Parts: sequence; C-alpha cells; structure tokens
Amino acid sequence: MVNFNDAERAEELSRRRARALPVLAILFIAQQVTYFTGSGAGQRTVDHVHIAAWLVLSLVILLALATGGGWIYPRRVRDLANDEATRAHRADAFNFAFLATMAAAVVLYAIDLFEPMAGREAIHLMMTVGIATALLRFGMLERRALRDA
Amino acid sequence: MPERLSNRIKERRAELGLTQAELAERVGVTRKTVNTVENSVFTPSTILALKLAEALDLNVEQLFWIEE
Repeated sequence: MVNFNDAERAEELSRRRARALPVLAILFIAQQVTYFTGSGAGQRTVDHVHIAAWLVLSLVILLALATGGGWIYPRRVRDLANDEATRAHRADAFNFAFLATMAAAVVLYAIDLFEPMAGREAIHLMMTVGIATALLRFGMLERRALRDA
Repeated sequence: MPERLSNRIKERRAELGLTQAELAERVGVTRKTVNTVENSVFTPSTILALKLAEALDLNVEQLFWIEE
C-alpha cells in the first residue's frame, strides 16, 4: 500500500510528463529543422555551440526517457510514477524508436550512394529520428492511458 | 485473431465502493495503470494481476479471463 500523498504526486508527475512529451518532441524537431536549413553544420564557433546545444539536449532527453524524468520529485514518487504500465509504454516507445532509427539509416545509406553525406550529419539525423520517435510514441501512449483516468 | 484479456475490475470496484485511485493505492500503482488494465488497454503482469485480485477479494480467474 502506498502513501496517498505520494500517489497524488505520482499522478501529477504522470500528467505533467504526458503533457510535456509532445511539446518537447516538437521543440526538438524544430531545433533540428533550423540546424539543417541554416548553416548549422559549418565550422564557425556559433555552429559548434549549436551542435553542443543539440548534443546536450539529446542527452538530457535520452536520460529523461530512460529514467522517467521528474528528478525534482522524491524517489518513492518517481518509482510509483514509473510503474508497470509506464515501463511497458517506455519499452514500446524504445522499440518504435529503434525501428525508426534503422529505417532512417537505410534511407540515409541509399541517399549517400547518390549524394555523399558527412558521417556526423548522418548520425545527427538518425539520433533525431530515434529520439523524436521515442518522445512522440511515449507521449501518445501516456496520454491515451490517462484519457479516462 | 489476437487473444484479449477481459476483466471485471470495474464491476467489482463498484461493488466494494472503491475508486480507481483507492484501488491503485492498495496495489501500489498509479491510477493510470488501474485505468489501462480496467479498460483492457494494458495486460498486467502476473504479480499485478494477483495483487489486484487480492485487493478486490477475488481469485485471479474470477477477475480475469481470456476473451473467446
């Protein structure tokens, strides 16, 4: 049996996370669009800052996805918010993300036959596809689970 | 045709006068998980199925069955 206050806070964390995931996915994708449509892949200092920002954001999102986020909450609240259904949703999201990343790799490999691409850009694109897919899928499953709750 | 796990959690909850939140609290999960199990969206683990059955004072076979 869990503490009622912890249950309420875990519920709050779940709802906040479900709301934040799609927004984060859109912001993440938008950042990549500005990177690839601008001169983000250049060698200027500003380009390196742009790449570093993307890398840090990617790592933070991956960490949040892997651990469930909500780091400001006590551990027992986080454990409760990452219960069985949430872990299943996360596993499903990672599964989807893996397939999307492999599909992106196949497409990039084919494109590279006709138009050579830098390795760093290819990795950047594959990571973007994988992370955005995981965010969207996890968010969709969490929102659906909370719909009638 | 894929098999589907049906349950009578909602009916039993109503009989005992429990809310989803109260049942969730008893079994140590969130209300979201109870909701998804109740609506057959999520298939629970054996451990959770046993905990739910115990909290609702039923055998697991009385609470869950495979839809024909």
